[in-house]
Amino acid sequence: MKKKQKRKSRKAEVRIPFPNMLAMVLVCVAASGLSYIWLCARCDTLGSEIKKLESERHNVRQRAINEQDRWSNMLAPANFERALKHHKLAMTLPSERQIVRVRRGSSERVLTLAYNQKGFMNADEL
Amino acid sequence: MNYKGRTILASVLMATVFAGLGVRLAFLHLKPSPETLVRIESGRHLEEETRGPRGRILDRNGNILAVDIAARHLCADPKFILENGDIQQVCEAIAGVVPLSRSEIWTLLDQPERQYVRIQKYMREKTLEQLKEMKLKGVILEETSMRNYPKGALGAHVIGFSNCEGVGGAGIEQRLNSYLQGTTGRKVSLKDGRRHEIYSRRTVDIEPQSGADIYLTIDQQVQHFAEKALDALVAKYQPQGAWAIVQNVRSGEILAMASWPAYNPNRYGSAPPEWMRNRTISYGYEPGSVMKAMIIASALDGGYVTPRDVFDCENGHWMYGGRALNDSHGEGLLSVADIIKKSSNIGAAKIALQMGNEKTYQSLKSFGFGARTGIDLPGEEGGILWTVKNWSKISITRLAMGHEINVTALQMLSALSAIANDGVRMRPYLVDKVVDAAGETVFKTLPGELGRPIRPETAKTMRRLLARVTQPGGTGTKAAVRGYPVAGKTGTAQKVRPKEEGGGYYDHKYFASFAGFLPVENPAISIIVVVDDPQGAHYGGSVCGPAFRIIADQTVRYLRISPQGFPTEYVSGLGPIVPEEKKSAEAGAL
Repeated sequence: MKKKQKRKSRKAEVRIPFPNMLAMVLVCVAASGLSYIWLCARCDTLGSEIKKLESERHNVRQRAINEQDRWSNMLAPANFERALKHHKLAMTLPSERQIVRVRRGSSERVLTLAYNQKGFMNADEL
Repeated sequence: MNYKGRTILASVLMATVFAGLGVRLAFLHLKPSPETLVRIESGRHLEEETRGPRGRILDRNGNILAVDIAARHLCADPKFILENGDIQQVCEAIAGVVPLSRSEIWTLLDQPERQYVRIQKYMREKTLEQLKEMKLKGVILEETSMRNYPKGALGAHVIGFSNCEGVGGAGIEQRLNSYLQGTTGRKVSLKDGRRHEIYSRRTVDIEPQSGADIYLTIDQQVQHFAEKALDALVAKYQPQGAWAIVQNVRSGEILAMASWPAYNPNRYGSAPPEWMRNRTISYGYEPGSVMKAMIIASALDGGYVTPRDVFDCENGHWMYGGRALNDSHGEGLLSVADIIKKSSNIGAAKIALQMGNEKTYQSLKSFGFGARTGIDLPGEEGGILWTVKNWSKISITRLAMGHEINVTALQMLSALSAIANDGVRMRPYLVDKVVDAAGETVFKTLPGELGRPIRPETAKTMRRLLARVTQPGGTGTKAAVRGYPVAGKTGTAQKVRPKEEGGGYYDHKYFASFAGFLPVENPAISIIVVVDDPQGAHYGGSVCGPAFRIIADQTVRYLRISPQGFPTEYVSGLGPIVPEEKKSAEAGAL
């Protein structure tokens, strides 16, 4: 009796195979969707990274400009003189009497040498 | 209600909620009302315009004279601060960094209806470091930029200043504003719920470009020498004004241009307008005896006189055209060479009379008087040189001694430099080159010739005659530089009394000046020093001579100018004049 019932139910089961094409399409759609979401997320991540770098570059540029400004201020002749005075450094440009000019070959180039305490520097010392 | 009933009810409720959300979603996406669209868009839309920084101004060696630096506006949200009860702490913290008292800050913050107040504009980042560390809630540090002049007052009249809107208001900042101004950048994008930009939704991204850098011909060190010499001169003679220019005679480049009173362009708002005036180009004055150099040069060039010709200087008193003409030191017979050396008014007048009105007028015109030099600065005056038909009988005798003519210091220096430069008058210029943000040179100024008022041989003779002025017995001995032969001419002129005060000349107010160049035989630099109404002394030789000497002495050593010639490596313009025989010898050696 049981065997008969089993046979009947097997007969009643209609197996409709899932279409391969549809499965592939669905898989493709799902994959595309996932890729799209992944790409979007990646773009956003890269975007925020770029923005962060942009902001960093901006800050670095500003810092560089401010440092340039500070350096330039330090190199102002008046500040330089003040610093020399502060450190009690008496520095003056050599006077004409303290300079010896040596002509090199026949060209017009001249070399300027600072006066040395022992006397004028000799051209042979070059 | 049993389990099944509760399940159905929950399902129905959830389905209703989701259906409602779905409908709203569909409604928003498929057919939103125009108002909704505008509201959504305005909430998400982000559009920013950023002004590119102004270009820098640098001296000839690349030292920065003006630059845009990062700064902050110190702002606050009073409503937030009051609601959080932090006002006392905020006031104390801010009072330490801004020049405002605690009570003034309190008054600003004690406005519960306001969400934004600006406490202090344009603050330097460094000043705010401490405040930043405290991370005070309700305190906003708005990003901005400001124009800064790191050298302070150095070269202020040349550089000028730029206002808060980033527009040049004086000097190079004004004249080259179009080059200095940066381009505006633009960004169009969308914001997220936290008001942060969504980078992937950025549709327009135009970077702001900074303006072009301007390289001047000014040398900050030479400028400092000139300004320091003027400061010393001002301290000694308490004049109403003093100014000086240093020029490269071969190219016309201006190496220094100083004017006193000066101002600090970082605080231009607090400087009186009179201080901002660049007297070297905008202040016309009667030059006095310096003019004799041009008159005698023209007379020599035209063959009207020779250096050995002798004139009777009438022992210092001569009546001409019914008016007396006096010399400060009475002299009898003087040669043309000695007329320059002793600066005889009578001698110069007689030389001018030999030339005649028309020739004198033409020669002064050819030296550039009565016309602007065309320097790249705003506000240049052209001076006054009346045409011959406006002259009286005695005009020519007054012109010969530098009266009845109005010149600027730059015109006078340009004329003297022509004598130094073998008779070639060069166009004075301040801008060496303009370099854009990409590093490309937009333009480079090349030395330009303005005219040839005298022949090279006459110029050579004049150089030697002018060299005698600084030698013993001359009027300009105080301008002599040890180790260097200096040529120059002193000038002392009574100041013109305005018509409102009765016209004529003041009895005890003078313009003192000294203009010269060195080394005599192969001139490299020319310098002029002018002082308006010095107290205690008034002769050009004694007032301006020492200042000239100080500037010249320091400049020749700094620029490594030898007593014989030009500093070859320094000249960007024409370079030294090398005699033909030397050129061929060099070519042979190479």
